Amino acid sequence: MINLFRAEWSKTTGHRWVTSCLLWIFPAGAVGFMIIIGLILALSSSAREEFAADTLLWTDQMTGVWGVPNSPFGRLLLLGFTAVMFAGEYQWHTWKNVIPRNRRAALILVKFVTLGALVVFAFALMSVIIGLGMGLLVKMAGGTYGPALTGEVLGDFASDYTRQAVLAFVSTIIAAGYAALAAMLTRSILGGVLVGVGLTFAESLLVGGLILIAFFLKIPNVLHLYRLTPGYNLLNVNEWIVNNHSLTIELPYGDNQSIILSDNLAFSLLLLAVWVVGLIGLTIVLFRRQDIASA
Amino acid sequence: MSAPVAIHIENLSKTFGRFRKRIHAVKNLNLDIHAGQVYGFLGPNGAGKTTTICMLLDLVLPTQGDVYIYGKHVRREHDVLRRVGAIVEHAAFYNFLPARKNLEVLARTGNHYDPDRITALLAQVGLTDRARQRVKGYSTGMKQRLGLAAALLHDPDLLILDEPTNGLDPAGMHEIREFIRDLVDNHGKTVFLSSHLLGEVEQICDRVAIISLGQIVREGAVADLLAGKAQLRVEASPLDKAAAVLREHWTLSTGNSQWMMVNAPREDVPHVVRKLVEHDINVYEVSSQRQTLEQYFLSVVREEVSGD
Repeated sequence: MINLFRAEWSKTTGHRWVTSCLLWIFPAGAVGFMIIIGLILALSSSAREEFAADTLLWTDQMTGVWGVPNSPFGRLLLLGFTAVMFAGEYQWHTWKNVIPRNRRAALILVKFVTLGALVVFAFALMSVIIGLGMGLLVKMAGGTYGPALTGEVLGDFASDYTRQAVLAFVSTIIAAGYAALAAMLTRSILGGVLVGVGLTFAESLLVGGLILIAFFLKIPNVLHLYRLTPGYNLLNVNEWIVNNHSLTIELPYGDNQSIILSDNLAFSLLLLAVWVVGLIGLTIVLFRRQDIASA
Repeated sequence: MSAPVAIHIENLSKTFGRFRKRIHAVKNLNLDIHAGQVYGFLGPNGAGKTTTICMLLDLVLPTQGDVYIYGKHVRREHDVLRRVGAIVEHAAFYNFLPARKNLEVLARTGNHYDPDRITALLAQVGLTDRARQRVKGYSTGMKQRLGLAAALLHDPDLLILDEPTNGLDPAGMHEIREFIRDLVDNHGKTVFLSSHLLGEVEQICDRVAIISLGQIVREGAVADLLAGKAQLRVEASPLDKAAAVLREHWTLSTGNSQWMMVNAPREDVPHVVRKLVEHDINVYEVSSQRQTLEQYFLSVVREEVSGD
């Protein structure tokens, strides 16, 4: 498995143009952002004063980076990266080098592991760059950059940082699962990106659609389907970890009529596990049944 | 004692598409290929060669039938494919990686990474100096050489090579031919190769099978197949009268206004001459012609296509 992982890492990172544009752009973008802010601060005393007046916390700066994979721009690039990883092999005709067929399951699994490792590495690096860079900029502007490093601060930061990273990771893996599945079905990078974006977009629009169905067709129970989506369960897990109670969402479906969704932590964790295992499993099953090489 | 069977194909069929788009790429193929030889697999474009090769390698699922390699069913006992190295259709690589890196990736994927072997194979196929260059800049011939190195990475017992000399210049083709022959004669390998280059197949293969429209139409040792198709070149005048006389005893094949080819062995030369002279025909030349594999292949394929 280690050999397989190293092979996957080599070929993924070896595609420098793709990894630069779709993955390393995040830490590189952070460096660029720091340089631009630095130049502005160097040239403008009013900007320095404004910057120094803001109370910036390194804990927020570093943790906030994990929101980027879930932003539309971040999600689009990562879906593209996933599509290249999976559909690229069809376009380069390299799947046929994978003999025998029983290596295929391990190969797909390793692709997800490599994707996850690269995403975690890129964003962890980005968060370090942002954390240190902002400190440097604050120092340049003459402001304060808290909080002070104490055991308690570090403990809180570690748990908050890990929570955000894990949720971003799970969310990315689920979105990557859509893109991977689409890439395997369409055998095309563009197809993988388009279907992956479509599915991600459809998930975010689902709640609106369900409300309309519930309202016009008078089927209020259809709103419970929203409980099965990864988005809802990610929010619910976050709520449980941060506030130790469930997320409560009120979904209206008529005049003064609504359904309240609220679930326990175990339910959401189970649902997320089903999504992750299901998407990866489906990709593996599909790939193992596929005929490789044109005929 | 005959060599063990390396490949055993039983009633192998593959159908692509559904309903009106259905294509029977391979139909009830049966074949035994013994170890320790170079076996040629010939056929025109679309005959089903690559589909058969893909089924041998479990890249394509057969619609019906079974493939056994060294007695093991390739789908039920996948691991037997670890004894096989292959180039399918054309050697495909990650063009953005250097040649050496490509071999490393393939070796690690197959879980048989050995840097020394990679170095040795690159030297063997003449790519040592270009090993650190990206494959993107490689010619077709260089990619084919790299493909051979990739197929040999895990020192397989059986090599399945689809058009291995594609894109090579005459010197490169000769080199690869020698290389393949050496693998069989001195290293105990078995090679199953498909090629359009019939001259090459004739020089390198011990046995051949000809596939047309998804079915094996001829199979046998190269020497036997060609011996069975002995021909005489007859130059006589008047040629049409000579043709009429000879047609009563032998079948005629190609020819022009000066000469014709008669399907007859060398031993029949005196009889042919006698028949012509008896009918007052002037004989200028009767010579035994050894048919080439290309001529044999073309005649077989024409027969099959015309349904004779």
